[in-house]
Amino acid sequence: MTAIVEASGLVKRYGATVALDGLDLSVQQGEVHGYLGPNGAGKSTTIRILLGLARATSGRVTVFGADPWRDAARLHRRIASVPGDVALWPALSGGETIDLLVRLRGGDVGSGEYRRRRAELVERFQFDPGKRARSYSKGNRQKVALITALAHPADLYVLDEPTSGLDPLMEAVFSDEVAALARSGATVLLSSHILSEVERLCDRVSILRSGRIVESGTLDELRHLTRTAVSFERDRLSDAQLAGIPGAHDLVVAEGRVSLTLDSDAVAATLPALGDLGVTGLRVAPPSLEELFLRHYGDELVDA
Amino acid sequence: MLLALLRFRLRRDRLQLAVWTVALLLLMVFTAAAMTSTYPAVADRVGVLRIAMVTPALLVLRGTPQGTSLGDITVFEIATFQAVLIGLMSTFLVVRNTRAEEERGAAEALAATAAGRALPTVAAVLEGVVANVLAGGASALGLIAGGLPTVGSIVFGIALGAAGCAFVGLELLIAQLAPTGRSANGWGTALVLASYALRGIGDAGGTPHPASSTLTPGWESALSPIGWVQATRPYAADDLRPVLLALVVGALAVWAALAVQRVRDVGAGVIAEGRARRTASPALRGPFGLAARLQRGSVIGWGIGAVLLGLIGGDLANLVLEQLGSTAGVAEAVKRLGGSGSDLLGGFIIAIGGFVGILAAAIAVQGAMRLRQEEAAGGADAVLSGAVGRIRWFLSLVALAVVAAALALVVAGIAAALAALSAHPDGSAGTFGAWFGTIVWQLPAVLVILALVSLVFAVAPRATIPVGWLVLAAAAFLGELGALLDVPQWVRDLAPFSHSPAVALAHPSFVGAGWMTLGAVVAIGLACVLLRRRDTVP
Ligand SMILES: Nc1ncnc2c1ncn2[C@@H]1O[C@H](COP(=O)(O)OP(=O)(O)OP(=O)(O)O)[C@@H](O)[C@H]1O
Ligand SMILES: [Mg+2]
Repeated sequence: MTAIVEASGLVKRYGATVALDGLDLSVQQGEVHGYLGPNGAGKSTTIRILLGLARATSGRVTVFGADPWRDAARLHRRIASVPGDVALWPALSGGETIDLLVRLRGGDVGSGEYRRRRAELVERFQFDPGKRARSYSKGNRQKVALITALAHPADLYVLDEPTSGLDPLMEAVFSDEVAALARSGATVLLSSHILSEVERLCDRVSILRSGRIVESGTLDELRHLTRTAVSFERDRLSDAQLAGIPGAHDLVVAEGRVSLTLDSDAVAATLPALGDLGVTGLRVAPPSLEELFLRHYGDELVDA
Repeated sequence: MLLALLRFRLRRDRLQLAVWTVALLLLMVFTAAAMTSTYPAVADRVGVLRIAMVTPALLVLRGTPQGTSLGDITVFEIATFQAVLIGLMSTFLVVRNTRAEEERGAAEALAATAAGRALPTVAAVLEGVVANVLAGGASALGLIAGGLPTVGSIVFGIALGAAGCAFVGLELLIAQLAPTGRSANGWGTALVLASYALRGIGDAGGTPHPASSTLTPGWESALSPIGWVQATRPYAADDLRPVLLALVVGALAVWAALAVQRVRDVGAGVIAEGRARRTASPALRGPFGLAARLQRGSVIGWGIGAVLLGLIGGDLANLVLEQLGSTAGVAEAVKRLGGSGSDLLGGFIIAIGGFVGILAAAIAVQGAMRLRQEEAAGGADAVLSGAVGRIRWFLSLVALAVVAAALALVVAGIAAALAALSAHPDGSAGTFGAWFGTIVWQLPAVLVILALVSLVFAVAPRATIPVGWLVLAAAAFLGELGALLDVPQWVRDLAPFSHSPAVALAHPSFVGAGWMTLGAVVAIGLACVLLRRRDTVP
């Protein structure tokens, strides 16, 4: 595996604000890498540095082995991106904007392949390319950026909250498209607040807080760091029996159901004990990304 | 209900109405007073009208010569300008109370009430009439206060107010048609300017009667509400029939607008916003193509402005020739100001060249300000996310500014030369080379200003726009007014235009132009280096 994106000790300061504070990030070839973090954590800043739109204050960063600040123009022939804040020229139509931006990436908008692909995306996203950008709604502005990124193939896709403003139907279309990119072997860096999306699409996830990576790994690896939720019917089980369940944390009885959590790597060891008790209505929920997320976001709330 | 709405709007707009009224009043007081002091004797007024009648540019800019009394010359000088102001006031007022209000959603709330849809529109008409009664009354008062005869002043005021009412009606109709409130304002402004231009053509192409210092305008003037103001000939004839025409046209337009309103949707005009292209044209590629596409409207607009300025400048050479041929006393005074007699024409050509240069500098600075606007709005990042480096993006926008400014200089140079030569084919009003060369050689000075603003963009992006205006204003002030206001020579030398080659004089020096071009290139190069070091600044 080769690293497509490699950053170490990345620092970015805006005056007194420290946007990135010694960030390490690595995105491997062919993976879909989820990039999560609360508002203001530094996701967009990282992405702007990777695209050569901002310059790191210090630290090392390479994209395809090159310095994105110095070689931005050359690298962008291989990179498709969706900005966190989609800006359009009010007087240009959506269709004109898409063609223009693809041309700027070095694409040939006259080719049959491009025209087919564009027509397909326009159709799938139910987008009207014949209106001036000033009259597009938020979701439609976002579609301009998405179609631009997807209409011309790239080796690396850098997507900053790509589904913001899309309705659920369009979100699903977008997920399909990213899944297809993954199958075709492209590398994707996807910043997002939508956990189900990340859980479904991403091979690996990095979680960012206050300009530093606080967690990074495959979803499975990260799940080990959290607890699995278990619940079952109380029936006629005694308090003593419940207290005897090995490895149980946070045991609560409410509305006739018992809920507890287990360390994720201890679930298998506990299940026989539950079997011996003859519990009914057993439900075992693997930790969701949401919990992971809340763990890190929650800290922030406590800190604050 | 109607009165309540009208009272509400008048309250809301009272400050604007007060400012307009006072401004229109003061303009009339000062103009009337200035005429009394500038042209005290009939001979002075006959003299200036004689020049005007052989100088179409003056007729276009001023109006119809209608006699030699102080009132007549006041009408000649100010009637068309005052009418334009009143027309613009009426336009903005009507659009604010109709389409702009609809777009804010206020009219929708009103339309839902029993009051019905016509009510806000009728209130807008009434407010327009009130505003024009104020405007006409203020004008008449100002003229009387400036010392002009009472009856003529009242007729002049009535004529102006009636033309304003005609504009209210016509703008109301336009507001029903235009796709958006913004375009309604634009079309309305265009209508006022077209009315001004139409009567300009009428005056320039009219039949002069030198014996009585009057002129019969061409038929075009009869189509223009501003022409109707002139047609009342206040102080000379006090003819009120054109006033009636203006009021009838205004009323008919209001009636038509109300009829159209019944069939259109709230918030939309009869003419829908046009469909745009679904794919990019072959020219829309690269940062230069994008800049050209985004700015083509303003480049064309500026170009037309440059042609008009050139035509007027070339035509005004008549003024100089007339003065050269006039009494010895005038020629003597002129010589003291501008050196020997033959240099006087050259000096005049250079002065016109300076004006065109400032226009070109404004075009260039506007192009440089685009750098900042694109950066702040996010358009720059969208381009830089493609395979385009910062420097290429920067140079593309600078190049477009240079092309637009150079184009304006070239068309203005040709227009001025043609205007001067068509009146005096013998070259006595300046040769083609003198006019064209003088104007086109303003380019190095324009480049210096452009390069300076571009450098500011690279160093302190947020200062680009204020500094741009400041540099432009300073160069214009020093270049055009420095000599008149006794500004020290070393300060005047700071203005790039004072170093433009004096091609219209004998033995011009091109050293300054060379240095300015070199300086501009160095500054742009420096800007490129500095730009490589900084982020996008939102
Ligand atoms: N140009 C700038 N000037 C000053 N501060 C900035 C600038 N850009 C970002 N910041 C600051 O850097 C920090 C990180 O911002 P960033 O936009 O990277 O967050 P984010 O993770 O993308 O947040 P969100 O989820 O809201 O998009 C914030 O504190 C922000 O205020
Ligand atoms: Mg962001």
